[in-house]
Amino acid sequence: MASTSLLPKTISPFLTNPPSLPWTHLTTKPSFFNPSADHHLPCTRKPSILTPYAKKKNPWIDIFDDGEDPDMEYGSLFVDGKQDEDTRPVDNPNNPYGFLKFPKGYNVEVAQLGLKIRGDVRRCCCMISGGVYENLLFFPVIQMLKDRYPGILVDVLASDRGKQCYELNKNVRWANVYDPDGDPEPAIYTDMIGVLKNRYYDLILSTKLAGLGHASFMFMSSARDKVSYIYPNVNAAGAGLLLTETFTPDSTNLSEGGYHMYHQMLDWLGRPIYNVPRQPVPPLRVSLSRKLKEYVEAKYRAAGAEKGKYIVIHGIESDSKASMQSRGDTDSLLPLEVWDQIADAISGFKPVFVIPHEKERENVEEIIYNEDIGIVFITTPGQLAALVNDSAGVIATNTAAIQLANARQKPSIALFGSEEKGKVFVPNAEEKKCIIVSSKTGKLKDIDVGAVKQAMQIFDMSLALV
Amino acid sequence: MAKAIAGFTITKPHMLSSLQKTKLDLKPCSEGLWQCSSNGLLSGWLQHKRSNQKRASLSKVNAFPDWPLMAVMVEHIEGQRDLITHKSIWHLSDRAIKNVYVFYLMFTCWGCLFFGSMKDPYYDSEAYRKDGGDGSGHWVYDKQEDIEESARAELWREELIEEIEQKVGGLRELEEAGRK
Repeated sequence: MASTSLLPKTISPFLTNPPSLPWTHLTTKPSFFNPSADHHLPCTRKPSILTPYAKKKNPWIDIFDDGEDPDMEYGSLFVDGKQDEDTRPVDNPNNPYGFLKFPKGYNVEVAQLGLKIRGDVRRCCCMISGGVYENLLFFPVIQMLKDRYPGILVDVLASDRGKQCYELNKNVRWANVYDPDGDPEPAIYTDMIGVLKNRYYDLILSTKLAGLGHASFMFMSSARDKVSYIYPNVNAAGAGLLLTETFTPDSTNLSEGGYHMYHQMLDWLGRPIYNVPRQPVPPLRVSLSRKLKEYVEAKYRAAGAEKGKYIVIHGIESDSKASMQSRGDTDSLLPLEVWDQIADAISGFKPVFVIPHEKERENVEEIIYNEDIGIVFITTPGQLAALVNDSAGVIATNTAAIQLANARQKPSIALFGSEEKGKVFVPNAEEKKCIIVSSKTGKLKDIDVGAVKQAMQIFDMSLALV
Repeated sequence: MAKAIAGFTITKPHMLSSLQKTKLDLKPCSEGLWQCSSNGLLSGWLQHKRSNQKRASLSKVNAFPDWPLMAVMVEHIEGQRDLITHKSIWHLSDRAIKNVYVFYLMFTCWGCLFFGSMKDPYYDSEAYRKDGGDGSGHWVYDKQEDIEESARAELWREELIEEIEQKVGGLRELEEAGRK
């Protein structure tokens, strides 16, 4: 508790408040006390000053926590700047075991100082609710953690489908299956608490909307900082007592926030402290292993496609669980009849249909009029990413494929049910070489195929550029 | 019969041998054994009972050292032969019998479990020997997670090498541009 009280509590949503006014007002005051140290200013002061913007402090968490001490002089060791990466202890050839775990003069305790004073995070656990799409959009948060806390070890708990994403993420250490949305068996629940306790996390991030139940689960893991989204309604009662920091989403469905669904969390993680400036939000990037690329190459070769000469089509209507939709956009799959018209319009490239289940293969063969198509059966985001990476472009509805195309900087056409959804899920579409085609009626089914045909110029343009 | 004493005594086998010959002639096969015992073994035992001091000089062979082998209930009448009313042969005491049975029972249980499990297809099946059990007897947990973790570490290294190569390539281009 003492360590958490030393951490500066942030003022919350930076997106919603006009930052200029309180900041200038604040920065003058501490430099009066310590004129030489004006470069390490804590970004927050007493909560009383920031009342209109600061989150209400919960006095139950620490009754002796009166906020930052304005007379505190910072500037000594372990206060300024980011944490250092852990160095490997030096080898010692004289030691019979080959090395010393703690070489001479190595102070083990010193590592703890940074953890206490500066709020270093050495081990972090992310519990991510949702499927592939939500996990994929969590990648910038993990990258942010890596940038903000050098040397951090990031572990992930996600649902079984969501966990498959972490094939694409080099920044993650362990990824375990534990669905925070589900209702786990008591044995699994207690086992997971034991696992989390044994790993001695400094920080647990959770994107499940926490009530008392989830908050107590995180509390029992005895991590130092427990940070979570909470319900924006009465269900959050009691959760704040057990958590260090809470974020209130705009609606009960976090995924409706689209691409920036975790913006509150990103704001908090990238907050400026002392001498560390605000951490910029990294873009969504995925990395592909050679093995995966080779495997998928064999797969699309078998389907008769050539590298760089096909267009991935993703988002076939199916009852499969592997269609990789977002939870915030339920109307995001197109029936094959519409895909048939779109596939007819593709010229110069081979359309490759991604089917989420083998039973769809027959349907695709029956309905799609175009003979020259490839059909690839893919259920994991890793394989889909590799397929997208070797393609000329992507035409997809609002599925993980569109985010993967953006992450690999491939030209793409995104089909959305409405214009607002498009803006929310693919912001800055031009920069990402993505054209959003949205339906006028608000239903994805009624999408204008003519507009899609027009948008297909983007593939020719990118080919010309290459 | 007034003076008769009904007693349950442990009879000395050499006294018995005379009885044996008269009354138990029906069993000729046991003859040899009894003669043998009356001559050598049991006479030695009696001598040992009589004189403990001299036992070192005797070469006695005792298979069951102090175990009462036979109990005979006799009716004793003065001047007459003893009348055998009841005879029972004990080989083991109750406790010893109980121990034997307990041992038998435990061995059977252990044997059923141990030898029964040696050829059990369940223990060789995927259900028992899957993730974690690598067949070596050392139970390794999180094997799948370990593989995935090392794959991600490998991915990280690949990306780092790519980055370094790009940087080196950029530097070379710069150098070449500088030379020109």
